[in-house]
Amino acid sequence: MPLPLSLSQEVLTFDVLVPLPFTRMTATLIEPKTKIPPSQHEFAEIIHRLERGGAMLPDTPENLMQIIGLYKAYAVPMDFYWRDLLYIAEQVFLDPLPFFKYFISQEYLDRHNHYAGDDADLRIWRGQATAHPELIEFIQTGEVKSKLPRLLHHFWHDRINMEFAEECMRAMLWHRRMYCPVNQFDPYLDSEEYKQNADRAIRAYFKNNPLMLGLYNLFPDMFLEQCRQASYYSNLGLFWEVMAPVFFEMSDLYDEGKIASVPDAMNFLVNGIFAIAGRPIYHHVYIRGECYEIIPKSKGFTWLYEAALPYVEAVFYRTSPFRGTKSYNAQAGQVPDDQKDFHYGVLYADKFPVGTAGIPPTLLAQDMYHFLPPYLVEYYKKHCRGEDDMLIQLAVSFQRSMYCVTSAVIQALRQALLYPLDDPNPKHLLANRKFFEAQIDRFKRPEARLRNIQSQDYR
Amino acid sequence: MLSLLIWLPIAGALIVGCLPANLPSSKVRVGALGIASAVLLWTVLIVSQFNIHLPGMQMTEYLPWIETLGLNYQLGVDGLSLVLIALNSLLVWIAILTSSEQTDRPRLFYALLLLINGGVAGAFLSQNLLLFFLFYELELVPFYLLISIWGGAKRGYAAVKFLIYTAVSGALILAGFLGLVWLTKAPSFSFDDILGQTLPIGVQVTLLLILTIGFAIKIPLVPFHTWLPDTYVEASTPIAIMLGGILAKLGTYGLFRFCLQLFPEAWVKLAPAFAIWAAVSIIYGAVAAIAQKDIKRMVAYSSIGHMGYIFLAAAASTTLSLVGGISQMVAHGLILAILFHLVGVVEHKVGTRELDVLNGLMNPIRGLPTISSLLVLGGMASAGIPGLAGFIAEFLIFQGSYATFPLQTLLAVVGTGLTAVYFVILLNRTCFGKLDNATAYYPKVVFTEKFPALVLAGLILLLGVQPSWLVRWSESTATAFVAAIPTVEQIALSQSIATDLKQ
Repeated sequence: MPLPLSLSQEVLTFDVLVPLPFTRMTATLIEPKTKIPPSQHEFAEIIHRLERGGAMLPDTPENLMQIIGLYKAYAVPMDFYWRDLLYIAEQVFLDPLPFFKYFISQEYLDRHNHYAGDDADLRIWRGQATAHPELIEFIQTGEVKSKLPRLLHHFWHDRINMEFAEECMRAMLWHRRMYCPVNQFDPYLDSEEYKQNADRAIRAYFKNNPLMLGLYNLFPDMFLEQCRQASYYSNLGLFWEVMAPVFFEMSDLYDEGKIASVPDAMNFLVNGIFAIAGRPIYHHVYIRGECYEIIPKSKGFTWLYEAALPYVEAVFYRTSPFRGTKSYNAQAGQVPDDQKDFHYGVLYADKFPVGTAGIPPTLLAQDMYHFLPPYLVEYYKKHCRGEDDMLIQLAVSFQRSMYCVTSAVIQALRQALLYPLDDPNPKHLLANRKFFEAQIDRFKRPEARLRNIQSQDYR
Repeated sequence: MLSLLIWLPIAGALIVGCLPANLPSSKVRVGALGIASAVLLWTVLIVSQFNIHLPGMQMTEYLPWIETLGLNYQLGVDGLSLVLIALNSLLVWIAILTSSEQTDRPRLFYALLLLINGGVAGAFLSQNLLLFFLFYELELVPFYLLISIWGGAKRGYAAVKFLIYTAVSGALILAGFLGLVWLTKAPSFSFDDILGQTLPIGVQVTLLLILTIGFAIKIPLVPFHTWLPDTYVEASTPIAIMLGGILAKLGTYGLFRFCLQLFPEAWVKLAPAFAIWAAVSIIYGAVAAIAQKDIKRMVAYSSIGHMGYIFLAAAASTTLSLVGGISQMVAHGLILAILFHLVGVVEHKVGTRELDVLNGLMNPIRGLPTISSLLVLGGMASAGIPGLAGFIAEFLIFQGSYATFPLQTLLAVVGTGLTAVYFVILLNRTCFGKLDNATAYYPKVVFTEKFPALVLAGLILLLGVQPSWLVRWSESTATAFVAAIPTVEQIALSQSIATDLKQ
């Protein structure tokens, strides 16, 4: 679905907005001039908040501190995630024994983010384009604060846990049919054109490997499926390449006192979404110095519809029943038959890890733990079990922050597809409300944490 | 030497009781802990001086007291009393460790605990029946006060019930002792004086039944157990440890020392019935435990079953079963203490003991992972899993009893299986599963709260992998016990000789 004209204008003006983000951010906090009857929805208060331009998350200084602190803590590992995802998609590709896929090359650490640094396509973050300094330091010394060979850091699990990123990628791959036909990326993976592009790349990649070529001739679909997975590596890598500088910038703006409320934060995200909505999503593979365009940029796949929305749906809402978070008995009907009914994402997740280590949500919490801003560490020390359960406290903050991101996506969709919040036409306002209510309906189920995040005591 | 085990804690109780009223509870606790530590160290010294090869009484002490009544201050220790003395000193120390630093009326609380410590030691060491009875009854009022002042919501009811039952127990025991001395015309209440006397088998059986019921109330055995669940559940954690770990052992000690040793012929006659009684008690305790929804009550019912094993061992009266029975007294004391302590910590942190509410405590970050792990260990030990102290004791009992009472022993083995069932229920619901997001804001368990359980767990493991350190103390004593018990053939022969002589 093409973006409305007004949305395109937003994209054009975003770079002008960056130095003065608040003029736009606070602009959506408008009391509707034409009143409509109060919502009768179970979450009427939240719907009214959304209608006033707010977020699902209550606007409190404590919430703001938590979500911004977490964005910063998330952005540093995310700076590694996107680089490594692209490294795997473009360089590792179909390596049958990818032992070193997490050992990212210096080239990819130095790779310039398209949305940060002096040479950015659109400078969202005012910081550097290469890997974040905290990330570089962590890669070198790890949690043990000692420069050991990277292999030792790896085996000690003293590293950025790419398993989380891969789990997100797999969730997107597994829930493939989302947002069709708006999402063109996924049907393309089954097209003849894609198969031909992939075939060229596979044959080139295994040019000197008769065994793998023989296997490819025997089981072409298996290789093709691996190629599709690599395309999703690229998709997610390109998505997060944008989000990392967005989060870094939000953290810097908060530190400077320029983001002062949860709606401010949400509106920055909304503006960011529109600013980079048209960013191309593609999959290039580099084999012996030659670029193979498996999904060329010319296909016109865009960041918002082919990456952001499927990501939010797959990771925030659906994902999969992670092992260890809770025991699910599929035979007893505890796992839905229909994938669209899955509800194991971060917005529903139980933040208490049970027993086993190594499950992806726990690994993300571990990654973020290394990069918490000092104010958040001090905050966590004052609550619950202090340092002992900081992993859970930050995971709950992460959940709050993702409710804020989801609010931004909902507002962005409303802005793209429906009407302004201050539209004078009551019918338009009712259409907006219907949209909000439909979105919030997804949080009626008992697992949803929407109720929990309304209280500051949920930690 | 032995007297110090009695009078040091009693003197300590007086000192603690006379401490300034404004002294904070934590300091009173430290003082009581110091005295209990000194008693424990003294116990270690006595254990180190004990000769395991001598079957009789050692380190005996004698002081004439009221000789006209036949009451003298006569102490001694053998393989049976030694392990129970050690258990008593250890569990009092553990109980003080488990007590809260903010206990109300701390001077009275710790004074009563120390008084019980001295009294129980006196009962285990007494070689005079009347002296034993005095020490036995000395526990009554302190326990009553400890339950009724520091207990749970229904503490008054539980304390009165406990008082009535144990008072009846005391009355029966006194009646048995008096009957024994009067009928045998023994010169005193001295154990040695009575041991040499003979009585007609009918009188023996009557007196034995009176004493057995008296001790069965204290243990308790079915159907005299109804005071136990209420009392154990309403008592605070340190008192529950003392009740289950120590007080119940006075009953089993009495069975071994007085019923078995003083009435060997009657014992042999009643042993089959006793074995059935033990088996019923074991099965009943286990089945009742399965039905419970309160984890403390479940542990309390488990105690009924486990005490049944000791009764079965006594009924079988083989060297192996008696060694097993004595070992089971120690193992049960340790296991029950760790379980009550852990249940107490769970209740303190989570605020409930309800099986249907508790869940997911094994959660490594927001749960009580160490406490849950130790609870698993305690449950396994109670269920008789090899490598833990409970296994070797139960195994010796089964091995020693099977030849004499195969059916009853098999029922006891079934009881062990049922023990595993209710502990799996307890552990599965309490430790495993999903921690509730909405309620799981439990306070952190600090090291001092874990420490008593770690000590007990260490001992349970140590005695499990090195069982000779548990059984070696009582082997000679058990052999001597068995040697004094006539076989069925010997009884028949002596009865026929007596009949011939009359003719």
